[in-house]
Amino acid sequence: MDYELTRRVLAALHEHAVAYKVFGAVALNLHGLARATEDLDIFIAPDAENIARLRAALHSVFRDPSIDEITAEDLLGDYPAVQYVPPSGDFHIDILTRLGELFDYASLDTETVDLSGTPVTVVTPRMLYEMKRNTVRAKDRGDAEALARRFKLEGT
Amino acid sequence: MPVRRFRDVSEMEDTLWRERGPALFDAIRRAWEFAAKTVELRFPPGVYKHRTIEEANAQTERWAQANFEAFHARRRGRR
Repeated sequence: MDYELTRRVLAALHEHAVAYKVFGAVALNLHGLARATEDLDIFIAPDAENIARLRAALHSVFRDPSIDEITAEDLLGDYPAVQYVPPSGDFHIDILTRLGELFDYASLDTETVDLSGTPVTVVTPRMLYEMKRNTVRAKDRGDAEALARRFKLEGT
Repeated sequence: MPVRRFRDVSEMEDTLWRERGPALFDAIRRAWEFAAKTVELRFPPGVYKHRTIEEANAQTERWAQANFEAFHARRRGRR
């Protein structure tokens, strides 16, 4: 994944006032564990105006008409998970409005990270730990254990 | 740098954590650049819609498998 391009996407989300929360591997990176990843995971506030702002933000970074296929009808309806692969094809942005029955936008605790001058809203280490520890994927459970050791979250 | 000993390989990763700041962001940049140069991941551009996170994860796994096969095809081609 391209660091500068990712920073530009995050800056565009901020500049277009998108209500979003970064989770997943990029969040793990921003909490201190530099590690390669292939995607930027974001939860977005589930309302149509916010999704319109998300499209505007993405259009400001990528020259790609397929961005208009990211719709409120889908994200607020039957498709709460949308993956967007930009024309460069070297990473993807995973956009969620719900994650099973356990997590939604409002339930995620966040903090703000200053990424080279760009304010980034990212779930807290404890929140990331909670999201990863109950997953079926082995690498997520490993990340949860690493977060627990680093931030002394055992037994929570 | 002195020799460091670990009782478990998971402890080795604990030494990779950094405090937030320029050194962390530089480490992220270098880790991502190194991965991009060595693995060359490719995903078909477009928008993919999923009813569940499991569906999204399955799509990610299909891309991972395709990238794995492409990586090894490139290696075979270089031999």
